[in-house]
Order: sequence, then structure tokens, then C-alpha cells
Amino acid sequence: MDGAVFDRDFASLVDDRVPEGIFRVDRSVYTDQQIFDAEMERIFEGGWVFLCHESQIPEEGSYFATEIGRAPVVVIRQKDGEIRSFINACSHRAAILTPRKQGKARVLTCRFHGWAYSCDGHCVRIKEEGEGYGEDGFDRAQYDLTPVARTESYRGFIFGSLVEEVPPIAESLAGAAGWIDLMIDQSPDGLEVVPGSSTYTIHGNWKMQMENSVDGHHVSTVHRVFASTVRNREERDGLTGLAQTEGGRIVGKVPSGAYDLGNGHMSIWAQHTTPERRPVYKRKEWLETNLPPGKVDWILNRGRNLSVFPNVALMDNPSTQIRRVRPLSPDRTEVTVYCIAHVGEDPEARAARLRKFEDFYLTAGMATSDDMSALEDTYLGSRARAARWNDFNRGLHSMVEGSDEIAKAGGIEAVTSCDSWENENLYLGFYRHWRDMMTAG
Amino acid sequence: MGNDVELLAAVTDLISREAKLLDRREWEDWLDLYTEDAVFWAPSWSDEENIIEEPQTQLNLLFLEGRGKLEDRVFRIETGDSYASMPLDRTVHVVGNITVDAVKGDEIEASGNAIVHSYGRHGRQTSGNMYEFLLVLDGDTLKIKRKKIILIDDAVAGPIDIYHF
Repeated sequence: MDGAVFDRDFASLVDDRVPEGIFRVDRSVYTDQQIFDAEMERIFEGGWVFLCHESQIPEEGSYFATEIGRAPVVVIRQKDGEIRSFINACSHRAAILTPRKQGKARVLTCRFHGWAYSCDGHCVRIKEEGEGYGEDGFDRAQYDLTPVARTESYRGFIFGSLVEEVPPIAESLAGAAGWIDLMIDQSPDGLEVVPGSSTYTIHGNWKMQMENSVDGHHVSTVHRVFASTVRNREERDGLTGLAQTEGGRIVGKVPSGAYDLGNGHMSIWAQHTTPERRPVYKRKEWLETNLPPGKVDWILNRGRNLSVFPNVALMDNPSTQIRRVRPLSPDRTEVTVYCIAHVGEDPEARAARLRKFEDFYLTAGMATSDDMSALEDTYLGSRARAARWNDFNRGLHSMVEGSDEIAKAGGIEAVTSCDSWENENLYLGFYRHWRDMMTAG
Repeated sequence: MGNDVELLAAVTDLISREAKLLDRREWEDWLDLYTEDAVFWAPSWSDEENIIEEPQTQLNLLFLEGRGKLEDRVFRIETGDSYASMPLDRTVHVVGNITVDAVKGDEIEASGNAIVHSYGRHGRQTSGNMYEFLLVLDGDTLKIKRKKIILIDDAVAGPIDIYHF
């Protein structure tokens, strides 16, 4: 890394004067190549990053190829069921070892020179080894794959870190852990990623995608057309039950909230006006029998969006989503989305969950497409250096320290709480954590 | 539809006309090409070689059952309230390689390809789409009962809508 990058004063990009009612971020954080390079090194390659869900590597030898920052990595299920990950490059000359994004292999064989590695990363074959390296004292183990320093699962959500010195993932997730628990605890037999996915690129910065995933303030403007379209559909076709969409949160003033969950993690929620239209409602009886009432209320009656720093958003609304974010450059971000659902889900609920997903979330959906367009506009606007600051001041006067009563009822540990999802307290946590990682060491 | 040549001509005409109506944004005429129970389906890829086959249990890029769901899209575009649809991207569909693959009573299976070039505020893109159609004779008129669109690209650049397929 060019030393000049780290001579820059990244702390000055976050204008943090909350007692004066000011919290602003310099828009160059979205557009500047040097800042992006430093983010790759200090944030993505300097801490925990979401990799995949355990259901995506179900059996011994199942692998999932992804990235941590700029580094290609492969996550592999081991013989004992454990999960490990490695730099996805041959130790010899760096060719990618996995022909596919997902698959299953007994050994990973490099297709360039034929070197092979066992699933636990040992180099088990070098082509013409004796001829090439002599028989005496040659230690093949020097070519074992480079492990990702840390690989841990939080109840099935797998994270990796290229640096050793990070706290356990459960601790790093801070308040986000309780939020993820609400997603997991609602299913008696766990969660699974549904087959199929969508990948798309956005002309915008990765942080804009992370912000947008928990932005309650845009919903009643950008998504009112979603609400009016589905309302028109429901009236025209006389739809009932799960075929209806939960639109009340979009257009109406409903109870809502926003939380800074610590370590850059953020969340919002809004009350459902018609929770019976959500697939999870089929589990109502089971939930009421097996979970405390506070948790059941959170699961059934509140739509929830979570942004886990730095690269994944988990949505639990009428449908349920894993949204993995991969920065490509300051102005380009790749997003891959998966539907995550209850194992053994009732077929009607599963189909409804998929239709709601396709209706709303995808690049051809009737809401995410509008989000993407808005986000791309914010990128274009951010290029103006004469107008330097993005405001995150909304609702700071009503922000309270710690968890509010609603959060406490669900076991949610927040750093700060606001009683409206339109407020921006959550972004303070995001950009303070960003600043801390960018200036650490 | 007395013989193969006439049938192929009729099928080619319908598929080409659909593309033209989308490019010209003649939505009502476009909707008229579809049967009431039409399905407009763009499956996602399950891996590098395979598309998903079971829309009720697997994720699609788009799965619109019934012409009403197509009307939803037109409704949304025409509100002028959709960020992604105002202004609309310009598109050009070039369709070709059309073949009639099977005839079963009133139903005809046909396939073809399309190159769709689009241009809008946030850039341009070109996508390669494979089409599989199920057409049906409705009186004397050939209509679309199912349009299945396979986008060969894994990654889609920017937002897309029915007229990009």
C-alpha cells in the first residue's frame, strides 16, 4: 500500500459534533479512490466480513467461493463438519482453485499445473514432484494453502477475517447478534438459503448500499409506488391471505424505530399493520408456545432490516433476504441476494415468500429497482466537491442512550435508540466505527 | 396456419411484434398479446450451467403469473412515480433464431434469442436473452401463454423491468 494513502487525515471526513446537533460525513468517502483503497485494507481485509450461510455448504467437501476485500477465498466444510476457509489461490502460481462459485470436491485440484489440496488445506500432490524439487528434504507442507486467519459461524452465518487479532464473531456482532437471533429463533428446524440467487451491480459506493438497507426515511417516498401498485392489484384481483402484500408500513404512520447496535451495525423496524400476510404467521402457534411473548411480538409484528458492518444486510419483512455487498471500486458495488427461509416450511408459505421477494427485492422487483436508481443518483450528486457534506442529523434531539423499552422486550442491546425509523442515529454508529477502523494502528 | 412455413411466419411475426411494442412503449397493445392466464418468467441461475426449474420452491428474477401482474408493471410505469421508470430507459430488442419446436393441438412451443440494448440516465447495457414461448390460438389470433426469458449474464447492471426482458 502506498504510504501516501495513510498519511491522509481520515478522521476529518467525519464531522462528529453531536452535542452541537451536527453529524456530517464528507461525500468524498463515496468517490475517492485512495479512501476506497484504504477501506479495502483496513476495513474489509482488517476485520470480520460475512462469507455465506452454512446451508450453502451442507456436506463434507462442499465449498463456497467468495471474497474478503480483494482476496478471493473459499469456504469449505470439513470431514468433522467444521468450517474452514482459505485464500482461493494455488500456492504455486495463484490460479483460482474452484471452477465454480459453489460446488463439492474431495480435493481441490489446480487446473493450471495440476497441484492438489485436501479440503483441510494440505498440499497433497505436486505434479512430477521428485523431478522438479528433488527427493531430499523437500517439504511439501510449505505449499499448504494459506488459511483465512479466522473463520467463525454465528449460528449458521459464517464470517471470516484475514487478520488474527479480532474478537470472537459473537462479540463483534454486538447488538446485531440479538437481531440475528430473532431471524433464527422463529424457525423450529433452522434456516436455509433457497436455491437461486441474483447478482447485480450498482453505480454507487458500497456504503450507500449499506446505508440504504436500513434507511427508513426513503420508504414513504421511493416506495409509495410499490404500495399503490400492490393495492391496485389487490383490489382488481380480489386477493386474500398470503397473496396480499404488507403495504401498511410503507404508506402509513406506524410505530417504528432505529438502533445503533454497536461496531457499525445498524437496524430499523416498523410495525406491521397486517402481519397475517407474512409467511412467518403460519408459525404463530409454535412461536407462542416456544418463545417468550416479547420475542414473539418482535418476530410476528415488526418488519426488520439489519445492516451488519461492513458487507451484509439481513431483511426480515414480508419476505426474508441475505444481501451480500461486494465493493468493486468507489463507484461500483456488486450485490448478491438470496432468499433465506425456514427449513421444512409449509409449501404455501414458501411460495408466498418467494413471490413477495420477487415483487419487492430484486433488480427487476418493484422496490429494489427504485432504491438502486435513487442510490445511483446519490453517487452522482456526491461528486460535487463544492457541496461537501452529507447530513446525518435527523432525530438526534430525540436519540436516547442504550436500548429503549421496545428493544429490551426483544433482548436487543442497542448503543442508541430512536422511536422513528426515519431518524439517523444509527448512521453515527456506522461512521464512527468506519472512522475508527480507518484510523486504527 | 396451413403449413410449417405459414406457422413459422405467424410465430416470428408475433415474437417480433412483441419486441417492437416493448421498444415503442405501446403497453396496451403489448398486454393484448398475452392471454389472461399468461406467465412471464425469468428464472435465476442455480449454478454456472443450470437455471432453476421450480418457481414455487426456487428464486426467480421475475415470475409473474397472470396478465394482471404484467398490468401491475404498466401501472407502475405510468404513475410516473417509480424512480427507476422515470424517465424510462430506451431499449432496442433484436430478436432472431426463431424456431417452432412443437405443436400440440392449439398450443405451439417456439424459441428464439434476443439481444436487448438499453440506454438510460445511468448508462447503457446489452444483454443476451434466450426466449422460450408457449403460444396458443385464441380464435384466429395467436397469443402468448408463457414467455420464459433466460438472461445469460449472471450479473445484471442496474435496475431492469419487463421491457428489458
